[in-house]
Amino acid sequence: MNKQQPLGWQQWLLIAGLVLSLVVAAVFAIHGLQRFPRRQADEQIRGWMSVPYIARSHRVPAALCYAALGLPAQPPDRRPLMFIARAQHRPVETLIVELQNAIAHYRLPSVLTPTAPARSTP
Amino acid sequence: MSLGDQLLAALALYGLPVLFGTTFIASLGIPLPDTVLLIAAGSFVQQGDLNMLWTIVLTAVAAVLGDQVGYWAGRWGSDRIEGFISRRIGGVERMQAAQALAKKWGGPGIFFSRWLVTTLAPWLNLTSGIALYPYGQFLFWDILGDVVGVLIYLTIGDIFSDRVQAITDALGSFAWVVIGLIVAAFCAWQLAKYFRAARRARVGS
Repeated sequence: MNKQQPLGWQQWLLIAGLVLSLVVAAVFAIHGLQRFPRRQADEQIRGWMSVPYIARSHRVPAALCYAALGLPAQPPDRRPLMFIARAQHRPVETLIVELQNAIAHYRLPSVLTPTAPARSTP
Repeated sequence: MSLGDQLLAALALYGLPVLFGTTFIASLGIPLPDTVLLIAAGSFVQQGDLNMLWTIVLTAVAAVLGDQVGYWAGRWGSDRIEGFISRRIGGVERMQAAQALAKKWGGPGIFFSRWLVTTLAPWLNLTSGIALYPYGQFLFWDILGDVVGVLIYLTIGDIFSDRVQAITDALGSFAWVVIGLIVAAFCAWQLAKYFRAARRARVGS
């Protein structure tokens, strides 16, 4: 009966490469799935976003966001936040906080709406 | 503010010239977030800020033009590189083997690198030129891959038009999944070759 030859360093290197690449693929797959956008999740507000985009992604009226930034709702201003901040001589972070506060305030009543009382069982 | 955010803001304000310029420069191998911009463009198309047809045409043209620069740089430099490899690494045979490999697998490689493993695309342009991969075939696979890539990423941007940031983060991770699986498949294939040869040798002896 023929004996099986021991593996050389090239084969061990390939086995290590196979295991390592599968681990990398699995880790990034889990990471990607965790970050995969959910329908009800809010996008983090960034300087490149325009007011209509922020309103859409947060499911709030655009007029609310314009009002929070002290801008008229008509005609719709499509500039990204960083350009609005530059025009208003304010840091973009301030505008982001103002928008976040306005959105949170808008959603507040719906959170506080009392739920229907549970039906008592006979 | 990151470069990606600056480019996205410029895209939102100035539109297609920014997308064209970024795609062209990224195709040369300079690391710019062209895929992120393309997904954002899909979102802007959905919102009516950009024209769908012009976005497809201009982005595909920019990508193809950038790829041609890489290919021809490799092709014009191929004599020098061949000489360098002959002197330093040993023999034109290896270069010829690489050229044969490029001719055999080049087409699918070029096609998939345009949209699936985009980080490899600039290198494949250069190596296709160096390996003297036939230009007509390169152009065919390049145009096909770039158009498919533009359509895929614009559609993703259209579907996730209100979640551009989240989907680009997720896709960044999935690109590494694809690279990991390609490396794993290569290692598995090499190991299978080795074990098959070892078994044949055992049976033969």
